[in-house]
Amino acid sequence: MSDDKSKVTDKASEIAKNIWLAGVGAYGKAVEEAQGRLEKAMEPPKLFRDLVKAGTALEEDARESTIAARNSVEERINRVRENFHNQRPARIEDLLVLQKKVDQLSRKVDKLSKALAEQGVGSRSHTGRRKAVKKSPGGHGVGNPSVKKSKSAAGKTKSKTARAKSGATAKKATVSKRKV
Amino acid sequence: MKTRDRILHTSLALFNEEGEADTTTIDIANELDISPGNLYYHFKGKDQIIGELFQQYEQAIRHTLSAPIEQPLSANRGSAEDNWYYLYVVMEEMYQYRFLYHNLNNILQRYPDIKRGFKQLLQLKRAALFAICQTLLHQEVIDARDQQLLGLVDNMTLNLTFWFSYEALLHDNRTPQVTIHQGVLQLLTMVAPYLGDDELSFYRTCETIYLNMVAESD
Repeated sequence: MSDDKSKVTDKASEIAKNIWLAGVGAYGKAVEEAQGRLEKAMEPPKLFRDLVKAGTALEEDARESTIAARNSVEERINRVRENFHNQRPARIEDLLVLQKKVDQLSRKVDKLSKALAEQGVGSRSHTGRRKAVKKSPGGHGVGNPSVKKSKSAAGKTKSKTARAKSGATAKKATVSKRKV
Repeated sequence: MKTRDRILHTSLALFNEEGEADTTTIDIANELDISPGNLYYHFKGKDQIIGELFQQYEQAIRHTLSAPIEQPLSANRGSAEDNWYYLYVVMEEMYQYRFLYHNLNNILQRYPDIKRGFKQLLQLKRAALFAICQTLLHQEVIDARDQQLLGLVDNMTLNLTFWFSYEALLHDNRTPQVTIHQGVLQLLTMVAPYLGDDELSFYRTCETIYLNMVAESD
């Protein structure tokens, strides 16, 4: 009994699904219709008469450039992704990458200033800089360049406009970092 | 730019800003600083301008909407997020011709040719969103039964189609960025109940960006 019932429901949903899909499938037919409409519009002086020439040319272009169009969709998706990443608050993974970079940098700077000190070059200005860098891992003064770097390291290309935004991202980065 | 293209360009801007019903060919000629006679030489009337603008739009959005039907968007990268970014692309394209959507019923009543084309675009939208949802289902990003999935797709199509007029009624002076971002967020809100944890975090990020945007613009 209940089996019969579920069979009926199955069938009903199957029918509903088919109706739905037929609607979507109509789009393929719709394209043909549009083409037919375009041809019809060729004959009498109608609203679209002047458009037809341009229209048919475009249709041909369209067929040829399907691949190009797909690329452009992908390009635009890439642009949106980029934009999105500029706006989103920093994630823990981002911060870890950032921290690693800063650590590497501090080590490099340490090495460099050591080398310079050994060479006996004036050490005053360098010790000053070293302090500033050492501060960074502590969560302060995480600057724009490092933000930029960490993101590109994650495989994202940056546009110039990103710079203005990354200031805000960096600020958020420091805030959420304290929570970590 | 040729005069003909300039007319189309200016008409689109005026229709979008002032509304299609409130814009006459005289307005368009004035805005361009050309004589109505000159405009008439290129277009026999507003009907023809609107017809051509719609064709431009149709051409562009059809390409965009066909993309996920021909091939899953996230196939190469294996990242479902591409589908969400794609929704931005669609909405941005629609926004360029938003005058159609602001006054949809009215325009469709007056221009039967556009009505036919628009119905096809609606089906194409459904097909595109259906393809996306199918892919997500296949990749186990979402979990929805047949009928649920179809309902979801229709809700998304509905939201996508009428978002601009709804939003314009609610808010007067929002930037396109906020309008579009919130539109995508609304679409995601519909998908959210079917999402797994990973993609939910994307949804949360989207939400946070929206809140920041609103805070900035207030």
